[in-house]
Formats: sequence, structure tokens, C-alpha cells
Amino acid sequence: MSDELPEAFDLVVMGTGFTESCIAAAASRIGKTVLHLDKNEYYGGDSWGSFSLDALCSLLEKEVSESSALRNGSYTWHNVAAVDWDTDAPAVWTREAILAKSRRFNLDLCPRVLYAAGELVQLLIRSNICRYAEFRAVDHVCMNNNGEILSVPCSRSDVFNTKILTMVEKRLLMKFLMACNDYGEDKCNEDSLAFRGRSFVEYLQAQRVTEKIASCVMQSIAMCGPNSTFEEGMQRTQRFLSSLGRYGNTPFLFPMYGCGELPQCFCRLCAVFGGIYCLKRSVDAVSMDSQSQELLVSCEGKTLRAKHLVSGPGQVPINPVTPMRPNISRGLFISCSPLGNEEINKGGGGVNLLRLLADGGTREAIVIQLSHYSGACPEGLYIFHITTPAQSEDPIADLAPFTSQIFQNISQIVFSSHFTLYSPQSVEANALPLSIHCTSGPIYEIDYDAAISEAHRIFKELYPNEEFLPRAPDPEEIVIDGEDPSALNEHSLPEDLRAQLHDMELNSTENQ
Amino acid sequence: MAKTYDYLFKLLLIGDSGVGKTCILFRFSEDAFNTTFISTIGIDFKIRTIELDNKKIKLQIWDTAGQERFRTITTAYYRGAMGIMLVYDITQEKSFENIKNWIRNIEENASADVEKMLLGNKCELNDKRQVSKERGEQLAIEYGIKFMETSAKASINVEEAFLTLASDIKAKTEKRMEANNPPKGGHQLKLTESRPKDSWLSRCSLL
Repeated sequence: MSDELPEAFDLVVMGTGFTESCIAAAASRIGKTVLHLDKNEYYGGDSWGSFSLDALCSLLEKEVSESSALRNGSYTWHNVAAVDWDTDAPAVWTREAILAKSRRFNLDLCPRVLYAAGELVQLLIRSNICRYAEFRAVDHVCMNNNGEILSVPCSRSDVFNTKILTMVEKRLLMKFLMACNDYGEDKCNEDSLAFRGRSFVEYLQAQRVTEKIASCVMQSIAMCGPNSTFEEGMQRTQRFLSSLGRYGNTPFLFPMYGCGELPQCFCRLCAVFGGIYCLKRSVDAVSMDSQSQELLVSCEGKTLRAKHLVSGPGQVPINPVTPMRPNISRGLFISCSPLGNEEINKGGGGVNLLRLLADGGTREAIVIQLSHYSGACPEGLYIFHITTPAQSEDPIADLAPFTSQIFQNISQIVFSSHFTLYSPQSVEANALPLSIHCTSGPIYEIDYDAAISEAHRIFKELYPNEEFLPRAPDPEEIVIDGEDPSALNEHSLPEDLRAQLHDMELNSTENQ
Repeated sequence: MAKTYDYLFKLLLIGDSGVGKTCILFRFSEDAFNTTFISTIGIDFKIRTIELDNKKIKLQIWDTAGQERFRTITTAYYRGAMGIMLVYDITQEKSFENIKNWIRNIEENASADVEKMLLGNKCELNDKRQVSKERGEQLAIEYGIKFMETSAKASINVEEAFLTLASDIKAKTEKRMEANNPPKGGHQLKLTESRPKDSWLSRCSLL
């Protein structure tokens, strides 16, 4: 079949990052004609993709332009041959041995974990997009206790069984978690009234918890800083608790084969509902047809008409160019051994999450350890993703207070890399025609709440009266009898699709 | 609910646009041949349960959703696939030449031990034939995979092709199970797994 594209679309989406893919899927799902392009030859836009090791190295070496999202990239190979191996250590991982398995890596630029009852998981289930992905339940949520990495007890039985807390501490922690769980249900609760408007730390102190419990809660359960308010801390603890007991031992999930799969799942849904995909296609210019109020998108010598355009950062030339600022500092390490002791790495280690604090708790970083169980690296190797809000244009300096906490004794790191993810400063809304919408790229967050809410907001601006990603039918619901397509059994289809199908039939009879 | 099948196999259809992948899918799953409305109602895979040696096998067969057109198939499409039907059109030389590109694509993205089969579709259009049956057979031998000429329209060999692929995967799976080495997977999110809000407290009443 030829490369001929239709000439007019309801929506042209530039960039296959998470937010753009979400919008493309939502528009296609409600029957809009969608063309989805990316200037890169891979999915994920500039910040949301997963890469093989070779591909990551070339990205880090790539020359930077003023619209680049990935900057300040560097990587180093470490000679591990000199290390004293344990007697039962696996074969020596040389640079060559690791590069030979380059394709077995799925290295995320922007790795995340998902709350098992969080926004994204709910959206995936509600829309049926969950059928395109698999997840690994995070094995351990960890904390750094004076240089020792410990597993934080998550479930009730964890609290009961953990060796890191004394009997008294267990009682205190349980009491505290129960109070958080009940928070908000009884509006007149004296405790919560007394702390309204004060800080979460003050509340913790008032519960007379020990230092260990306080760091447990602050570092890993509530994931708070010293300035977090009481309400914030309570809500975050509840978010943690409500995601427990759903899939695994911790409240978190990690997408198998890396987070780069997630935008692709949305793209797949978009395509299933007729969305057209082209990668490695860039848009040269966008102008407005003053008569029809349509956008004219010139794309490699061809002009397409679009009612609306959604663009990821750096995908469409927009004047004036919005300056990019450092947003997220990233470290990505490959090691021959997991972080922490045997206890938190049973069976060779799995997917562990660790939140680190620095500068008296005012700065934080998320560490995600991935073993081969995540589908993101070969067996016997481990990936450590470290992510922190950018302070400067030097990712190594930004991450130093955190890497020094966990890598002091690890001489088994074979590859280390650093880079900064840049995002555009917010675009002046009135600088753009109403029919062009720009997404902002990833921000520092656990889970995808901000990205989903941005996608949702833009979708509602485009189609105010339409539902955002209603359920897609299961294949079993689509029953076709014999050779005649009108014999399609519609009754089991979701209502909105039945309506779309009737519109299509009406149109085709009119055309005849 | 009791499981109504012994095995679940994920199969893929791959090949150029217009070679009849969707028609093959519909011929096998619905015994139908007209697919004008699929993008409206969003079909991405079809299911048919077959029986082989007294084992019920549920085949989940995925279509490319048009993403083959500009070579933009998502990596997620290949994940977990156990069998792949490589399809070309015997009346389109180009679609036959492209098979080796698709094989390269499969090698890059699918698991190494995925079972493959080559299909030359539209064999009812013999007068427009551009690719001889011998060339199809030869290519299949080169890659060490099985080959059939099919017609989704005239319902020739479609059933046979899927049964052959399924039985090859079944043999491989059973061999692996004998070696006691089942593949390890992740969690699939299910609607039914949502729980009431206070589950955390009701799990255990110790302490």
C-alpha cells in the first residue's frame, strides 16, 4: 500500500510522549480522525521512551540543540575486572559482555512506579488499555536508616513480622497508620482538628513515635518533607494505604519492560480505533487558514488540514521559541549486585523502591532498582534509576548527595550515566491560536497524576462534552454473524460505540 | 470461575498492509469475510478456542491495527507472543520481498523462541499471481519455518494454518513444562481486583 495519507484530520498529534499519546487515544476512542506523528524514529517523544543500552549511549552523545529535552549527558564504563568476586559470583561482566546484551535492556529516561489504586491504574482499567501491559509488583519499599537500607513494613502482617522494629514501635506504627486510615471519616476527630494548618512533622512528633518510625513514615510511607502540611501528609499516607493489598506486598507496580511501554499502550488503542501512525516525520510549519479556521500543517512537503493540533515539547516549530529549563536530574547505573542485603533481595533481587532525603529533608530523590524480573535488564545485572528535581545544569552534582548515601561500598557498578531532562517554560497561552495545544513534558512526580490531569484538561478543551477514554469493548463483545456486516450484534457494545456505528451507517446511506 | 481451557496462546499477524491479515483473522475467528467497520468498534484481537489431542486451547490472535503501514508497530504488540503468522499477498511481489524485513523486526522485538509460519494469501487469485508457490516454500525453508498458501476469501487453508501453528506451540510448551521450566510473567490488571476501601484493616486482626 502507498504512503498516501488522508489530507484532513480532526486532530494531529505531534510527539508520542505519555501525555500526547493519552490525548491521541482519547480522541480516537470517541471517533475523531487522528494522525499521530513523532520526529523521532521511536515511541515516547523526547523524554518518555525506553532504550537499549546502545541507543541510550548514542542519545547521551548526541549534539544538543535549543529544543533538546535531554542534555548534559555523559556516561562512563567502570572496570570491574579488578573487583574481588564472591565465591559464587556470576561470570565477569565486561563492557563487551554487557554490550552484547544491549537489546535486553529497556532503559527509561523517565522511570516511574504506579500506585496500585492510583490515577493511572484506574484509568488503564477503566479504559481497558490494561490489556496491553503487564506489571511487576514492587517487591520492597525501602528506607535509608543511617546508611543501612531496610525494607519498610507495608502490610499489617509485615508490621507484625518485621525485625527492624521493637514490639513497642510496632504498636506505635500500627496505631499511627490506623489513625491515618480513619482520617477524614470522622470530621470532629479532635486530633485532626488540632493539627489543621500545622506541619505533618509536628503531628508525627505529637504521636511520640520513635526516630526510626518517623523516618519510616517521612521517607517511605507519607513521602513527605519537613514543610509538608498535616493534611498533605495524611492524604499521602492514605494514598499509600489504599493501594496496599491489591497486587503484591507493596502498594506499587512497575510496568514490565519499562515505562516506555505505557505511551505505546495508549498509541495502540488509538490505532485500534483508526488512528494513523508515522514516526520519523517532523512538522516544518503550522499556519492558520483564515477562511476555514483550520490549521495547515506542512509535513515533509505535504500540507495536511487539521481542526486541532496537540504538540509535545520540541515537536513543532513555534515562534517565539519557548526557552527550556532544567527540570529533572537523572542518574542511571548498571551494577552486578543489588542494593542492600540478602533480606530485601530474595531470589536474586527484584524491583525495589527507595526514597532518599538530603539537606535536612528539603531535597529528595527516588531510586528504583530493577532486576531481570522487570523485563528491563538481563539476568545477573541490575539497573538503578535515580531521579531528583534539577537544581542546576549539572546532574552529577545534583545527584551527589544521594549517590553518596547508597554507593559508598559498591565497587560493582559497571556503567554509570547522568543527564538532565529539560522542559519548556510554560507557553504564553495567548501566543498560540486556540486550536493549538502544547503539553509540558514530564515533571518530577511518583506515578503519572500530573501527566494524566494535563491530558484530561487538554482533551476537555478540545471536546468539552465527550467522555475521556470510556471503556473499549472486549473482543468477546463483538459478535459478527455470517458474511453480512450489518449482522453485527451491537447489543453488547458500549453505548457510545453503538451511536458511532449508527452515525456511520447513516452517512453511508446518505452518500449512496 | 473454573478455567475453560488448558492453554492460552497469544498469536500475532504480521505483514504489509493489504495482504489480508484482518480477513484471515475474521475467516478463522468468525468464519466471515467483510471487515469494513473494524476501526469504528475497535477490534484488536479475536479469540477462538480449538481442541487438539483432547486439550482445549484458547487462541488470542492480535491484529496490527494498521500500525504496519508506516512500520510503527509498538514493542508492546510483540510482548508475550508465542506464535506469529507472517503474511504476504501472492499477487504483490513487494509484500513477499518485505517478509525478510518483518522477520528482522520480529527478531528485534519478539522473544527468541517465538514460533513462526509463512502464509501466501489470496491464492484464489491465481491469474494475478506474482509470487510462485515454490518461492514461498523456498523462503520458508531458508528460515526453517512452515509454509502454506491460503485464501481468506475462498476459505482455503486458513483453519489448517492456525491449527498447525497452535499444535507446534503446544508441542514446544509441553516440552518446556516437562523440563519444569515454565516462563515467568508479570501481573495483568483486572477489573475484578478492586477492593473495598478498608481492606487494609480487615486483612488480619492480630496486634
